[in-house]
Amino acid sequence: MSTSNGNVRSGSSTLVWDLPTRVFHWVLVVSFAIAWLTSENDRFMYAHVYGGYVLFCLLMFRLVWGVYGSRHARFHSFAHDWSSVTEYLKALLNGQAERYIGHNPAGGWAIFLMLLLCVLASISGLIVLGGEEGHGPFKHLIAYDIGENAKEIHEFLANAMIAMVGLHLAGVVVESVIHKENLIWAMLSGRKTVEKEEPSVRAFHIIGAVLLITVLGTAGYYFRGYVVESDAVPFKPYRNVKLADNTTWRKECGECHLAFHPSLLPARSWELMMKQQSDHFGDALELDPETTNEITQFLVENSADKGTSEPAHKINARIKPDETPLRVTETRYWKRKHSAEFVDEVYWKSEKVKSKANCGACHLDANTGWFEDSDMRLPKLSTKSEETPR
Amino acid sequence: MNVTRKMFLGLTIFAAAAAVQANVVDDVLKGYEAQGAKNFSAANGEKMWMTDHPDPDDASKVRNCSTCHGKDLRAKGKHVKSGKEIDPLAPSANKERLTDPKFIEKWFTRNCKWVLNRECTPQEKGDFLSYLRSK
Repeated sequence: MSTSNGNVRSGSSTLVWDLPTRVFHWVLVVSFAIAWLTSENDRFMYAHVYGGYVLFCLLMFRLVWGVYGSRHARFHSFAHDWSSVTEYLKALLNGQAERYIGHNPAGGWAIFLMLLLCVLASISGLIVLGGEEGHGPFKHLIAYDIGENAKEIHEFLANAMIAMVGLHLAGVVVESVIHKENLIWAMLSGRKTVEKEEPSVRAFHIIGAVLLITVLGTAGYYFRGYVVESDAVPFKPYRNVKLADNTTWRKECGECHLAFHPSLLPARSWELMMKQQSDHFGDALELDPETTNEITQFLVENSADKGTSEPAHKINARIKPDETPLRVTETRYWKRKHSAEFVDEVYWKSEKVKSKANCGACHLDANTGWFEDSDMRLPKLSTKSEETPR
Repeated sequence: MNVTRKMFLGLTIFAAAAAVQANVVDDVLKGYEAQGAKNFSAANGEKMWMTDHPDPDDASKVRNCSTCHGKDLRAKGKHVKSGKEIDPLAPSANKERLTDPKFIEKWFTRNCKWVLNRECTPQEKGDFLSYLRSK
């Protein structure tokens, strides 16, 4: 069946991929790309989560479409047994791979594997979102530790998916070359050229259009906050857990600097700090005993050891038992998350940031102590001396 | 509420705040007198306010009151380390100022230690306070 002459395939054109399948394919590409590209920096978590939600909903659609869709979209049309895969691959090595109008056996397996990986990646992502970040359908349902462990699995699945994407692309290129047809274009137009008369599949234009419009519409709805926000009222996507508060702490500590939330350092750090009032980073505190007691109690009762927030867990987990850091900026977790990998040097020199203790310059919710991933914004650098970051 | 009554109420509140301020500062000054200070001088307070003192951490730098409070007492200052804004010190720009004796004492202790590297004498505090209330 494979062509042996050097010309482009001739014959009649037939519709192979219905519109919903094509929309599914390309929106999956875009949403996976969004999720992949936004995964390294917590700042983009809201977009990352959007990519994941779209991916998950698309997969749910695809599972249905694999049963009710048009011929080549149906799972049983490309559920080849393993022996046909080995036969196909052997033939491929001999340069005699048979041409399939739908998925070839190896391609079919790759599709099933990618669908499975995406389903598992989405579900594990939702577990991370609920446990570690306190958002999504599983918030309050999943313990922090489970969320953190699920993150390892989530990352593994995403990496496996990237590997599969690589294989899939390689397969597309090889098959396009061997059979002298442009498979990428086929997935866009839905059409392939066939020698033998073959009826077109049903296009399902309306379902495809509804699918696409739904994805675009939900994107507009999901991100609308970034469109209508202003500098004075920036968009904060999540309504977060309200951490413990205390008027005396907020007033006394907030007079000179941001009132750093107790959840940012372990209890022993706060105790030591409150004992060393005569030299509080070069200043004398001179709080009266009553105030000292009230603040110390509040700090200790809500310290990082209590694990009430993501930074509390992460900061505390990386402090060694014999260490008693007195600044949040001395902790391993803080240092890593504020290294050049995440925050370019130019921002620290900016007038808008200046001090590493000026959390609020980038963390919109610094005064709450929650430090939501999606509430991080690097300030706009304006003056001439503040060059744009690399 | 008509406009006249609004203005009257506003003036009353302003006057009351000013009265509280006057009483608090007078009481604090009396306290300093009881500790042996006398004849408080706003001019001397201003002179001390402008005086530079060596920075014990960095020989190339000096510290004075305006390091954090700024040159204009009616404007906001900025904490030199944390960058946090400090509300204006001048009572004419900030009615909250000089209304709480404990607050006044706490900050004299902290800031004298930071700028002068020692506590201020009752005389010095009285002079500072006389200068500040005149602003």
